[in-house]
Amino acid sequence: MKLSIKSMAIIVVGAFALGIAGANLLGFWQTTSSKQPVVIKEGEFAGLPNPADIRGSYTWADVAKAFGFDAKRILKAFGASDETEKVNTLEAIYGAAGLPAGVEIGTDSVRLFVSLLTGLPYAAEDTTVLPVSAIAVLRESGKADAALIDAVAAKAYDPANTAASVAPPVSAPASPVSTLAPKPSAVPAQPASTTVTTVKTEAAADHVATAGTLTGKTTFKELKDWGLSETDIKSVTGGKIGPDSSIVKDWMAANGLTFSELKVKLQELLDAKK
Amino acid sequence: MTTKSATLKKKGARNIRHIVQAAFFIIVAVTTTAAVLSEKGILIPFIPDASLHAVCPLGGVVSFWQLLNFGTLVKKVHESSVVLAVLGLLLALLFGPVICGWVCPFGTFQEWLGGLGRKLFGKKYNNFVPRKLDKVLRYLRYLVFAWVSYMTVISGKLIFQDYDPYYALFNFWTGEVAVAGFVALGAVIVLSLFVERPFCKYACPYGAVQGIFNLFRIFGIRRNAPTCISCKACSKACPMNIDVSTSKVVRDHQCISCLECTSDAACPIPATVDMIALPGSVKDSYKKPAAAKSGAVKE
Repeated sequence: MKLSIKSMAIIVVGAFALGIAGANLLGFWQTTSSKQPVVIKEGEFAGLPNPADIRGSYTWADVAKAFGFDAKRILKAFGASDETEKVNTLEAIYGAAGLPAGVEIGTDSVRLFVSLLTGLPYAAEDTTVLPVSAIAVLRESGKADAALIDAVAAKAYDPANTAASVAPPVSAPASPVSTLAPKPSAVPAQPASTTVTTVKTEAAADHVATAGTLTGKTTFKELKDWGLSETDIKSVTGGKIGPDSSIVKDWMAANGLTFSELKVKLQELLDAKK
Repeated sequence: MTTKSATLKKKGARNIRHIVQAAFFIIVAVTTTAAVLSEKGILIPFIPDASLHAVCPLGGVVSFWQLLNFGTLVKKVHESSVVLAVLGLLLALLFGPVICGWVCPFGTFQEWLGGLGRKLFGKKYNNFVPRKLDKVLRYLRYLVFAWVSYMTVISGKLIFQDYDPYYALFNFWTGEVAVAGFVALGAVIVLSLFVERPFCKYACPYGAVQGIFNLFRIFGIRRNAPTCISCKACSKACPMNIDVSTSKVVRDHQCISCLECTSDAACPIPATVDMIALPGSVKDSYKKPAAAKSGAVKE
């Protein structure tokens, strides 16, 4: 059987047309994200939406809908007015505002805000801060523990007071993360408040590993150096483990695991080795 | 058939591929532009929008590991990308890297620049790189693919975006292109004036995946030795510098299935260089190492 240029053209165009049409009919042809974050897979928050999966392409309305709160709260928190605007516009707005070096208000700030508002677990980046307007909303309606909100408030960004209001990042060894329980009146759909909400409060500019303390910058090699075996790690991660050079948090995010939850279990294993 | 009408017929056949390429280029350019404008709140009526990541099969390929292990996709990659990756792999299994030769807008872009290079340098065009060096450099793309795959697996992000000249070409005006992306695009533009499809030959990670299928594709390029007049027109026409004129069957990992070498296009003798279903005996002959050179089977 010989194929001419003409027949190859028909095959190529036809394969694409039929392939895409078929995928469309079957519901596989999705060129945008569903705007529905993945759910937390383990622990007492299992089945609830994961703040870690909020993307820059979500609109304010998407975020509010996915996590079940009034969009006005998040608009007020970040000084936005149009709920159809995308979350990633924050980076441009606050980037132009001239934030001090080493701090950032962007999509990760929205994840942190949602976490504190709903009481769902999330470990934010070291450099992530919230605007003071968000702190006001959290003090009014946040489900997370007040101490946790206070910790985030301590380094909040105040546009009226520019850089002075933002605690500068420190290069000292990272302090242990604060592990606090959310208020009992957390999101109605979620289970009782015994599960921890973990949010980093340190602002380390560089990663300086403190032996035996798991942070968002810890690698698998460091875990092993501190005494955990592959079996120990796999017992927490569901039988999988990343390459030695991988940052545990990034690897978990890439693989649909919730760092803030599994971190507690890994830290327990580390503490037991001490 | 007169020589003139035969020449016109061949030109017409070659133009079919150029039309298909241009059509895919326009579709990708329009939909990705619409996607960026849509993000800025500017909606274009009747034009579907999709980001470049949504219509690039590489995202689907590098997502396979995460999809199989965790049921999730790499950030910025969508289901459509996986659909295109599967489609691309099926087509490659049957016909080789037709996506590279017929569909990829960045390959088309390089071919357009190559047209300018050909006018500037004539026969010297696409023959600047010494053969030995060229042969080694062509394995670079496998390293690029390995690096891209590894980094994507451990980070869960499309690491290649910052270095991808294809992404830079279609997003240069959006402010989302990294400096490395612009540098890569500039390098490809300059190199394309000297070498045909330099990115495809030396650096494309998706081309690397597709190229492997040349080793066992069902339909392939076969030269019929008894009717061949050894004019080398097929070799000269090959954008990837494959020595078709001394091959029995083209199994070179760089073939892009463009069919430029065939009797439909460059070869002046009918039924001498054709894309056909390869019989088992031809495949067997490829296994003899002494007969192989540059990945192609010799007589």
